[in-house]
Amino acid sequence: MKSCNFLLLPVAFLSLHAWGQEVSFNSSTLLQYWRQGTPGFETSTYSPATQFLEVDATGLGQEAISFHFYGWGRSDLAEQTRVTGKNTSDMVYGYVSYRAPKGNLEAQVGRIAVNQGVAIEQVDGGTFLADLIGGFTFSAFAGVPVHYRIFDESVQHDYEYQRDLIAGGRLGKRFDRFAELGLSFVQDGTYPGKKLNGYNTYDFTRRQMAVDIRVTPNTLLNMSGRTVFDIADRMDLPADTQANNARVAEHDYNLALRLNPQLGASLTYTERNFRAFYSGTTLPSLFNPQEPGTFRSQGVAFFIGAPTSRFQGVVDLKKTHRDSYGDSLRYGGELRGSVAPANLKYGVGLHRVNADAANYSGIVATFYGLAHTELQGWVTYEKDRMTAAFNAIHHHFDDPANPSLYGKGSLSEIVGALGYQATPDLKVSCDVIRGVSSLMQAETLFVMRADYHFGWARKEGVK
Amino acid sequence: MIRLLRNALLGLGLLGGLACGLLSPEKSFPNPHPSTLGMGQPVCTDCHEEGLKEGSSMLYSSFNHSPAFARDHKLPANRDSATCATCHPQSFCADCHTGKGVVSPALKLADRPDRISPHRGGYMTLHRIDGKMDPTSCYKCHGRSNNQTCIACHR
Ligand code: HEC
Ligand code: HEC
Ligand code: HEC
Ligand code: HEC
Ligand code: HEC
Repeated sequence: MKSCNFLLLPVAFLSLHAWGQEVSFNSSTLLQYWRQGTPGFETSTYSPATQFLEVDATGLGQEAISFHFYGWGRSDLAEQTRVTGKNTSDMVYGYVSYRAPKGNLEAQVGRIAVNQGVAIEQVDGGTFLADLIGGFTFSAFAGVPVHYRIFDESVQHDYEYQRDLIAGGRLGKRFDRFAELGLSFVQDGTYPGKKLNGYNTYDFTRRQMAVDIRVTPNTLLNMSGRTVFDIADRMDLPADTQANNARVAEHDYNLALRLNPQLGASLTYTERNFRAFYSGTTLPSLFNPQEPGTFRSQGVAFFIGAPTSRFQGVVDLKKTHRDSYGDSLRYGGELRGSVAPANLKYGVGLHRVNADAANYSGIVATFYGLAHTELQGWVTYEKDRMTAAFNAIHHHFDDPANPSLYGKGSLSEIVGALGYQATPDLKVSCDVIRGVSSLMQAETLFVMRADYHFGWARKEGVK
Repeated sequence: MIRLLRNALLGLGLLGGLACGLLSPEKSFPNPHPSTLGMGQPVCTDCHEEGLKEGSSMLYSSFNHSPAFARDHKLPANRDSATCATCHPQSFCADCHTGKGVVSPALKLADRPDRISPHRGGYMTLHRIDGKMDPTSCYKCHGRSNNQTCIACHR
C-alpha cells in the first residue's frame, strides 16, 4: 500500500526532465568518528557517514507546480551504532505542490510533513491549505502515517486498525487587527477506542480536538495558547490503576508583554494529563499513558534589549511539577552580544536547577538528588571565507550518588568548529567535540562536513 | 484500507473544491521571500511596518526572530505556516522535528552555538534528569516518531 505513494516520485522526476527549468540540490555530508572504551571491554571504533539530500524543482510546466524532496541515508563505516542496523535511510518528504496565485492556497500530494493544529506528523497522503474570505483560514490533511510502529506490537493485536489512517485539519478565523481563533482536529486509525474488543493494556486511540486563541489588541500585548481535548470513545480505566481519566490533554498558554522597547516579558502556563496527552504514542514504556496524575509548569521570562540592540539578555524562571516525581525549579539568565565590525558574536548563560530527589527504581526508600548548575559560553567568528565557533557547556551536580553519573560530580562538553567557504556553493568544515559517553567516559568525536549546493535555481529560503 | 484512503483524499478534494469557491482574493505570499536576508536571526521590522496594517492581522513585530520568538516559535508555527514557508523550506524544521532521527540537532548545529537546539551537551547523561522532571516536553519530538535511538534502552 505504502509503495503507491512512491509511484508519484518517478512521475515527478519525469516531469522534472521534461521541463527541468529550475532545479536546485542541497547536499550535506557528515562523517563522524569516535572511539569508545567501556571498562572491561575492548575499545570500539565508530564512524557513521550520513548524507542529506534536498531537491527543489519549481516551475514544472506551470509556474504554480513544484516538487520538493528531502531525505537521508546513513552507513556505519566501522562498528554498528544503531539497533536498527548498519545502513538506514529515510525519505523525510517528497511531494508535488500546487500553489495558487491567490489566497495562499497550497495543495501537496506525496509524502508530506504536516504541521497543523494538534498534529505534527509525517504522512503519505495529501494536504490542503487556504485563506478564505471573511478572515477564515482552512487546512486539512489525510493519509497513512509513516512512522507508527511500536517496539512490541504483541501488546496490541489490533494495532493495525489503530494506525491505518490519519486525518485532521484546522479552521481558523482572524479578527482584523485583533485576534485569531482556531479549531483543530486529528484522528489516528479507523477504529475508535471502544470498538476494540475488551480492555487493552495500552489503548493507543488518538482522537483529539483543540481550540487555539491569539489576542493582540496592540503591539504591547500578545496572548496565545491552546487547549487540547481527548475526544476518543474511551473506556474509563479502573479506579485502582490511579490513572487519570481527564479529558483535557493539554493547556498551553503564553502571555507576552512589551513593557518598553528595551524590555519584554513572557508568562507561560502548561498542564498535561498523561493518558490523554500521550494517546497515540509509539513508545508506551517511556511515555506511559497509564502514568497517574498530571504535569504542570509555570514560567516567567524577561527579555532585555531590542531586536537590533548590541546586547540581548534573558532572565528566566520555570517551575515544573510531575505528580509521580515532584517539583523542580530552573532559573538563571543568558546574555548574547556582538562586535559587529569584527563579525564576532558571543553568549554566556548560567542556570541553576533545584529539584526534588528521585528514588532508585525498585528500591523505595533510597533517594538521590537531581539538583545541578549549568554554565554555557560560546563565540562565533567570521572572516573572509573562514568561520570559527567555540562552545563550552559545564554541568555541576550536587549529588554524585545519582546512578546516571557513575560517581562523577560534573560533566563538560567543549566544541570547536572551523569552516571554510571554498566556493559560493561549497562549504567544508571540521568539528571536534570533547565530551562524555553515556557511561560518563571521556570521549572525543570528530565530525567532517561538506555542504554543497548546485542547480539552476536560486537557493530557496534559508538554510 | 485503500478505499478509506481514497475516500479521505476524495473528501479532502471536495473540501478543497468548496474552499476554492470561498477563497480569499488576496494575493498569495511570494515564495521564496522577495528579499534575501543576511545570516543570523532576521528582524522583520527592519523592512516591514511595525504596527498592524489595516485589513491584515499580520503583526510583523511578533515575527521578529528574537530570543523570545525562538523559544516560543511553536505558537506562530501552528497558526502562520504560510508565513514561515515564505522563508523556510520544510527541511529547516525537519532537522529538529524529524520523523526518524539520524543526527541530533546539537550535532547538526555544532558549528552554530548561536542557534537554539532542543538539547546540547552530554545529553545521554543529562536527559535522565530532564526527562524525569518533564517527560511531556520530549513527547512532542520522541513520543510518536524519532525514537529509534531510544529503544536501545527504553523498550
Ligand atoms: C531585508 C528586508 C526584509 C526583512 C528583514 C524581512 N522582509 Fe518580508 N519582505 C520584504 C520585501 C521587500 C517584501 C516584498 C514586499 C512587497 O512585495 O510588497 C517582503 C514580503 C513579505 C511577505 C509577503 C507579504 C507581503 O506583505 O508582501 C511576507 C509574509 C513577509 N515579507 C514576511 C516577513 C517576515 C515574517 C519577516 C521577519 C522574520 C520578514 N518578512 C523580514 C523585505 C524584508
Ligand atoms: C523573512 C524570512 C523568515 C520568515 C518569514 C520566518 N523565518 Fe524563521 N528564520 C529566518 C532566518 C534568516 C533564520 C536564521 C537562520 C540561521 O541563522 O541559520 C531563522 C531562524 C528560525 C529559527 C531558529 C532560531 C534560532 O535561534 O535558532 C526558528 C525556530 C524559526 N526561524 C522559525 C520560524 C517560524 C515558526 C516562522 C513562521 C511563524 C518563521 N521562522 C518565519 C527567516 C525567516
Ligand atoms: C533548532 C531546532 C528547531 C528548529 C529548526 C525548529 N524547531 Fe520547532 N521546536 C523546537 C523545540 C526545542 C520545541 C519545543 C519548545 C517547547 O516545548 O516550548 C519546538 C516546538 C515546536 C512546535 C510545538 C510542538 C507541539 O507539539 O506543540 C511546533 C508546531 C514547531 N516547533 C514548529 C516548527 C516549525 C514549523 C519549524 C520550521 C519553520 C520549526 N519548528 C523549527 C526546536 C526547533
Ligand atoms: C524539537 C524536537 C526535540 C525535543 C523537544 C527533544 N528532542 Fe531529543 N532529539 C531530537 C532529535 C531530532 C534527535 C536526534 C535523534 C537521533 O539521533 O536518533 C534527538 C536526540 C536525543 C537523544 C540522543 C542524544 C544523542 O546525543 O545522540 C536523547 C537522549 C534525547 N534526544 C532525549 C530527549 C529528552 C529526554 C527530551 C525532553 C527533555 C528531548 N530529547 C526533547 C529532537 C528533540
Ligand atoms: C544508553 C541508554 C539510553 C538511551 C539510548 C536513552 N535513554 Fe532515556 N534513560 C536512560 C536511563 C538509564 C534513564 C534513567 C531511568 C530511571 O532513572 O529510572 C533514562 C530516563 C529517561 C527519561 C525519564 C523517564 C521517567 O519517566 O522518569 C526519559 C523521558 C528518557 N529517558 C527519554 C529518552 C529518549 C526520548 C531517548 C531517545 C531519544 C532516550 N531516553 C534514550 C537510558 C537511555
